[in-house]
Amino acid sequence: MKTTSVSSSAMSNAMRYSQSRMQVELIKRQKEMETLRVADLGLALGARTSQSVTFARDLERLNTIVDSNKLISSRLSTTQDALGKLGDAAQKLLTAVSTAISGDPGSNVTRDAGKAALQSMTSILNSSINGEYLFAGTNTDVKPINDFTAAGSPAKAALDAAFVARFGFASTDPAAANLTGAQLDNFISTDVMPQFFGPAWKTNWSNATDQQIVSRISLNETTESSVSANTDGVKKFAMAAAIVTTLFSGNLNADAKKAVAQKALTLTGEALGSIAQTQSQAGIIEQRVTDASDRMKAQINLFEKHVIDLEGVDEYEAANRVNDLMSHIQQSFALTARLQQLSLINFLK
Amino acid sequence: MSLSSALSIAQSSLKATSRQTSIVSRNVADASNPDYSRRIAVLSYTDPGVSAVKIHRAANDLLFRQNLGALSSWSGQATLAQGMDRLELQVNGVDNTSSASTAIGALQKALQLYATTPSNQNLGTSLIESARQVVRSLNDGTKAIQDFRTKTDGEIATAVNDMNDLLKQFEVANQAVINGTRSGEDVSDALDQRNAVLKKLSEFVPISTYTRGDNDMVITTGDGTTLFETIPRSVTFTPSPGYAPGAVGGQIYIDKVPLKVAGTAEASGKLAGMLQLRDNVTVTMQRQLDEVARGLITAFAETAPGQPDAVGLFSWPGAPGIPPAGTLIDGLAGTIKINAAVDPAAGGNPVLLRDGGINGAVYRTNPAAAGGGASYADKLIAYGEKLTKPIPFDPGAGITANSSVVSYAANSIGWFEGVRQQASNLADSKEALAQRTGEALSNATGVNVDNEMSLMLDLEHTYQASARILTTVNQMLDALLAAVK
Repeated sequence: MKTTSVSSSAMSNAMRYSQSRMQVELIKRQKEMETLRVADLGLALGARTSQSVTFARDLERLNTIVDSNKLISSRLSTTQDALGKLGDAAQKLLTAVSTAISGDPGSNVTRDAGKAALQSMTSILNSSINGEYLFAGTNTDVKPINDFTAAGSPAKAALDAAFVARFGFASTDPAAANLTGAQLDNFISTDVMPQFFGPAWKTNWSNATDQQIVSRISLNETTESSVSANTDGVKKFAMAAAIVTTLFSGNLNADAKKAVAQKALTLTGEALGSIAQTQSQAGIIEQRVTDASDRMKAQINLFEKHVIDLEGVDEYEAANRVNDLMSHIQQSFALTARLQQLSLINFLK
Repeated sequence: MSLSSALSIAQSSLKATSRQTSIVSRNVADASNPDYSRRIAVLSYTDPGVSAVKIHRAANDLLFRQNLGALSSWSGQATLAQGMDRLELQVNGVDNTSSASTAIGALQKALQLYATTPSNQNLGTSLIESARQVVRSLNDGTKAIQDFRTKTDGEIATAVNDMNDLLKQFEVANQAVINGTRSGEDVSDALDQRNAVLKKLSEFVPISTYTRGDNDMVITTGDGTTLFETIPRSVTFTPSPGYAPGAVGGQIYIDKVPLKVAGTAEASGKLAGMLQLRDNVTVTMQRQLDEVARGLITAFAETAPGQPDAVGLFSWPGAPGIPPAGTLIDGLAGTIKINAAVDPAAGGNPVLLRDGGINGAVYRTNPAAAGGGASYADKLIAYGEKLTKPIPFDPGAGITANSSVVSYAANSIGWFEGVRQQASNLADSKEALAQRTGEALSNATGVNVDNEMSLMLDLEHTYQASARILTTVNQMLDALLAAVK
């Protein structure tokens, strides 16, 4: 009786089985070597696949937000630039009205300076980026500021109407020369002021909304990312420029003009302070956006490292395994060939 | 003793040797037949000097049963693992590219881009297109899952037919064994045939067998239902022409007893594997898709003070209301669609998504008057936040944790890959076991050609010697007869 036995078919089958297993393995390792990721993520990670899926998705999101932050940053820096120019324009007006106070207020220079200030203010506030008006609040497809100097401007009409309502004649009327500085001062404070700081501002001057554009700047952080034309600084500047333009072109006497210039000086001074304040606020937001982007970039690096930890394959190890498998398969082939020769039949002749 | 007795002994030896040679030849011929058991010719003596050949069939019951068990678990597990591989590709795609989770990721991205520049209508349209991808992924996933169930159902019907055929073949083979045993013939071939049928049967269900008098065999399934006793028992199954989410599949009855199915990642026997695919894995997957669909409808719902929540970006047959919280709705993933009110392809306006008001002006949240407020982003940002806010999910869908709809979609992939990994690992180890037990069985009962060859040399020698004796006796008798002449 035999104690051990080996059947011929078991011998060749075992060889075939191990060869096919090695070949399947070789294909997988080859793929790993080429992609440097595990061949079948689901089989390698099992239930942890959800982590890899989440990482990949968060990475995408972070990258998108970093990209969209660039857009926000460019909007903010353009806003900064525009605010700087607005400050310069206010500064020029300030110089002009101070000259008017100290020197001869009758000259047309002051009036022209007021007009220039209005025009540059309008053009600055109506500047746009990417087809969006910068200072329009959320109403970005509408020009935020109506041109005061244009024909038929409702703001100008309202201002003239207020003058007529108050004094019974227009500022260009010869009778206007009799108005005193105090009268004008009172007129500006009580009648003109509400046109800028009341609801009339939004009907005559501005189409911007008080609400700002809100943007998401990181996975869980949102911030207002625009400046509206409805800030006090803009209103005061507009008012100063408007009264200088309108009243300096009238028939007012020097005392009245000085009172107007005095008022304009105060307003412009306040406007400058307010614009600087807005500028610094925009700067703070800009900084926040940059910080958020930097934080997210750090996060992206970390996530990428995690993803590689999770699904990456060491390239040297993969290469080694492919080499090992190839030499194993070669040996196995050689062995099979030798074993096939090793048969009793070959010796029975 | 006489010369004539020497002659007759040599004759009987020649006869026995040729019989043995024929056995060797049969063994060599069937050396590579996995169902063949080696025959051993054993010489025995009836009368002094007269040898007769008895044929033994190499058999090892223990190894055979082990092999049957291993084959059964391997076949079931392989069915399960291969089915899951197919499901993975059909529902989630290569590297999860067509999964709901990936589509939702793209939707989040589009939402962020639109929220950053809400005045850009192209971005609004591209957001709707990403939403369409999400809908397509959910709809196609549902279709793929239900098609898979229908196909598996058809495969079960085929398998049940095959089983009934095998049982009939078994009846024939078993009868041959019984008849042969009763009349004392060599039943080796009939036994080989019967075992071959058993191996095939065990691929469908785990079986156990016992042998009664006259080598009559009884087969029962692993859980004790009779498959064969004197006559085959019927295996019945009514396939269903098509599956819809939530539909319950028909059962397989063996001898009128329904076949039971255990856990999710392990299966023994092809039938159990297919039942698990049809009734467990796919059903849970479908429920998860349905829950993802419900989560999306809820996350994009429009709210207004004093008004009921109403559908937003995503709509469903129960619109304008939203599905009740925390409750599974079967087949929702197959019926979810883009709300026509925001879909430019259906004449809708994506701006409604930004401003609110899909369900009437009372739901509008943009403070600017209609037509204005082009850069209002609060609502879009709020949608993005709702996507990542935890909501309750139906525990019946296999993932219990309260999570946001985006992590639920990712967890759904995690759940499936977890089950697939388990199934695949088990399939690997069971394949190795089936291979190993098959090898052990083949070693114990199979043919070694070299062995047979050496046996043949022995036989050749015996034959030559016997023939030599014949000629020698012949010469002696010739000499004797010559002397007599």
